[in-house]
Amino acid sequence: MKDKRLEEMKQDYETIRIPKELRQRVEMGIRKAKDEERKEKIMEKNSGKRRSKIRVYGVRVAGGAAAALLAITIMANSGAAIAHAMEKIPLIGSIAKVVTFREFESSTNNMEANIKIPEISVENEDGTVNEESTEKINKSIEEYTDEIIAQYEKDVEAADGEGNMSVDLDYRVITDNDRLFSIRFDQLLVMASGTQLVKIYHIDKQTGEMIDLAGIFREDADFITPISDNIKEQMKEQMAADEMVSYWLDSGTPEWDFQSIREDSTFYVNDKGNLVIVFDEYEVAPGYMGSVEFEIPGEVTEGLALEGFLGN
Amino acid sequence: MKKEILQKKVEEQVLDSYEAMYRLAYTYVRNEEDALDIVQESVYRAMKGAAGVKGEEYIKTWLWRIVMNTAVDFIRKNQREISVDGFCETGREDVYRDFDTLEALKILDERERAVVVLRFFEEQKLTEIAETLCENVNTVKTILYRSLKKLKMELTEGEMLCEG
Repeated sequence: MKDKRLEEMKQDYETIRIPKELRQRVEMGIRKAKDEERKEKIMEKNSGKRRSKIRVYGVRVAGGAAAALLAITIMANSGAAIAHAMEKIPLIGSIAKVVTFREFESSTNNMEANIKIPEISVENEDGTVNEESTEKINKSIEEYTDEIIAQYEKDVEAADGEGNMSVDLDYRVITDNDRLFSIRFDQLLVMASGTQLVKIYHIDKQTGEMIDLAGIFREDADFITPISDNIKEQMKEQMAADEMVSYWLDSGTPEWDFQSIREDSTFYVNDKGNLVIVFDEYEVAPGYMGSVEFEIPGEVTEGLALEGFLGN
Repeated sequence: MKKEILQKKVEEQVLDSYEAMYRLAYTYVRNEEDALDIVQESVYRAMKGAAGVKGEEYIKTWLWRIVMNTAVDFIRKNQREISVDGFCETGREDVYRDFDTLEALKILDERERAVVVLRFFEEQKLTEIAETLCENVNTVKTILYRSLKKLKMELTEGEMLCEG
């Protein structure tokens, strides 16, 4: 069986060039499978939950032939029936709190949405409701969740209910200290592969106003440059330390590269009192990296932030 | 619980042999982009289907079968002619030399190709290959000899064309 040409062929086989992205693609395959499984588990859990919810709260079926497939459950804001659900709501501070939530649930064959919409109440120090701020933040949250619901319904219609998709939106209060109240939304969108999106709302408890990133810094302070530079440094360090880590930085396509954060970049303050900047999946890195976060060391933001927001 | 353990084992096996998976995929499509797609899809299928493996000892052969099937699906779906540029072109020999002889694999059908790659290139045991193909060992032997004969003929013809 020994044959010079066959041996040569074997050599050629052994020297097939292995592209450097191979490892990355393997990881993507693994990740995609795991994402979907996690998602399926959530769905199983939810389908159990939904049955009980339908029994308790009734079902509203929307009109129209296509829409008739949608079973929508809206959680009411009152009544003893939701008492058990209310127990799980974190009670927060004296100034801003989640008072209730509604839930948008829908499922059509393999298309599912499960969207929790909290309602926030902002109170003045004397206990009266700060109508303006309360309305503003709830309106903003609603616009955000409405957008997600509208997109979902559009996708269901486009796929004629035959698609594979699931949207999950959940919230949690991540900061509630003397100065800052932050509520974080995590959206998990699963179609062919999963997408993670993060949205965080903040209320300055001193003023009762909703704020974005710029709102925690002094007006005259340039926080964008030092924070952006720090993030770039961290990206480089991480990429040098681990070849599986990849960010869009000096990639040769400048329009894709991370340039700088924005005045309204997504952020939160972690329990060390450090600022954490959050990027959605695909925003600064290839999809397999998911949503990524950078903790900004205290010395970078020192002297820039308003009192009480950060640990320094 | 059993499923999670199997999946973990599959993941380990994948991370251990993805370069060989890639080479096998490459012999089917002979271009990097498609071979990468096949590997990614195979890995995904393997991770999703981990619960379906009969047992830990079958993971390896089962993985090869997935790569083969994925490659075949891929080719059917795309129905594209695989480029044969550079085969036997004089003057460009050095540039393309690496893959010249692998072009000869195209005369083999899917099963024949898998047998040649797994036995002759990857040096697997005949029993393992039999498991991968769900065939008995004798059948695999027959396929192997038939394929090698076909290959030798193809390689000889190629040489003669080049020389002529």
